Amino acid sequence: MNNSLRLIGTAAVIVILASLSGLASEYMLGIGFTLFMYIALAQSWIILSGMTGYISLGHVVFFGSGAYVFVLLWGLVPVWLGVAISGLVVGIGALMIGYPVLRVRGPYFVILSFGLAELVKNLVLINEARMYMSLRPVFGAPPLAQLYIAMLVLAVVATALTYWIRRSRFGAGLRSIREDEWAAETIGVPASRLKLIAFALSGLIPAMVGAIFIMRSGIFQPGDAFNPIVSFTIVTMAIIGGSDDAAGPLLGVAFLVILQELLWANWPEIYMIILGVLLIGFVLFAPGGILGWCSKNLSRSKKNAA
Amino acid sequence: MLLEINDVSKAFGGLIALQDINFAVEDGETLGIMGANGAGKTTLFSLIAGHAKPSQGKIILAGQQIDGMRPAQISALGVARTYQIVRPFRGLSVLENVAAGALYGSHQEKSMATANQMAHEILVDVGLDDRAGQPAGSLTLAGFKRLELAKALATGPKLLLLDEVMAGLTPSEVNQAIDIIESCKQKYNYTLIVIEHVMKALMRMCERIIVIHHGEMIAVGAPDQIAQDEAVIQAYLGAEK
Repeated sequence: MNNSLRLIGTAAVIVILASLSGLASEYMLGIGFTLFMYIALAQSWIILSGMTGYISLGHVVFFGSGAYVFVLLWGLVPVWLGVAISGLVVGIGALMIGYPVLRVRGPYFVILSFGLAELVKNLVLINEARMYMSLRPVFGAPPLAQLYIAMLVLAVVATALTYWIRRSRFGAGLRSIREDEWAAETIGVPASRLKLIAFALSGLIPAMVGAIFIMRSGIFQPGDAFNPIVSFTIVTMAIIGGSDDAAGPLLGVAFLVILQELLWANWPEIYMIILGVLLIGFVLFAPGGILGWCSKNLSRSKKNAA
Repeated sequence: MLLEINDVSKAFGGLIALQDINFAVEDGETLGIMGANGAGKTTLFSLIAGHAKPSQGKIILAGQQIDGMRPAQISALGVARTYQIVRPFRGLSVLENVAAGALYGSHQEKSMATANQMAHEILVDVGLDDRAGQPAGSLTLAGFKRLELAKALATGPKLLLLDEVMAGLTPSEVNQAIDIIESCKQKYNYTLIVIEHVMKALMRMCERIIVIHHGEMIAVGAPDQIAQDEAVIQAYLGAEK
């Protein structure tokens, strides 16, 4: 009963958000687009880093690679097929590099993930320079209303995926790897295989997000598509939201995107400062994020009431 | 024979941790391993469970050679071990810790609901069910030791390796622990190898005891034989002048 109500409620919210594509102003659609984009990215990050504890500081590598594959295909295949191929190519790429990359743990993985994103960025830069391409325009992309719907679909899929994994056998394996990989293998969790699948899943959706983003911005530039600030923003959102469940990123993203809109409009120069202060503040004073803080304080007030 | 250890040696660089270990364990047996700190007991468990490879020799489980396999593969074949220094999944609930064992291990249970049910049953067996919803990190030492046992049991072991599950417990907790281990053994029907410093526990539980000293096996036999063995007494108390 409770569950089916929640399902109906969720479906209603999605339908309303989708129907806004025909009604809302260009400005509002733009905010919605950004919101859905970061929801999809942060949920994907949770699948790898939230569940396995392998903190990725280079998630933009999937976003940028997806965008690059997509612009290379631009004009050669139908638009939405191109988006799907970008996801697939990057997912398969993640499977191929995942095995060696995921043998590195802890802070070394954090550094490696960041370095990997920078490496791929520079490879793309070199490749583009060799072809005398400093930027690639994307002409004739679908209108924003369509891109808005596409991004909504990715956000919903990413959220559903995180929600499902968190409650599945696969997720139980991933979370035990996060707590103690050695002990997880001892009880039969095939750690290398599960990590690899999580890594590939975690790259698939950001690649498609990158492809759609490029249609919105209308131009592909390696420096923008692989901008490390995207990685930092994803991590900050996930940490502010807290938890390894789907609700965390929803809160964190909503909070930060709204803040971003306010700041860009009024004080764009201090956005990065605010981001840093928030990250430090949350890590120091509310390491469980908004969700963790709420559940702690709510249970305390419940205890006080009783 | 469920388990055969054939001429197994293990060296870490120049340090010989185990040398020419030979023994076999029958189905349903309870075998004790004793020896001073650093004698190589835990190394032996690591070799059986796949966390280290023997430098020499073979380990055979129910006719299948298992040395060289990954720990997760060996777990799937029905070997479970606990850790002397406990390794709970601290951030997960007690129930989730145990359910993870049922979802993987040799059960490979596919349904979350069934795994949770199995976990609850095992938590009742080890006396931790009232803590099922708590984060594992909040348990006491005695609780951690029981959780180690519960996690191992949940994998559905044919062979259970218990590494000092009684170290650090009070005498009354030791008695409870022995009762739990013995009643679980009857219920789940596994073969047991225990490493223990608490002599009372070894004497009570084991049919045979192996003594390891400086990486070598110096005695095998029934508990009362071991208690009177010259080599063992020398190793433990020093030679009589």
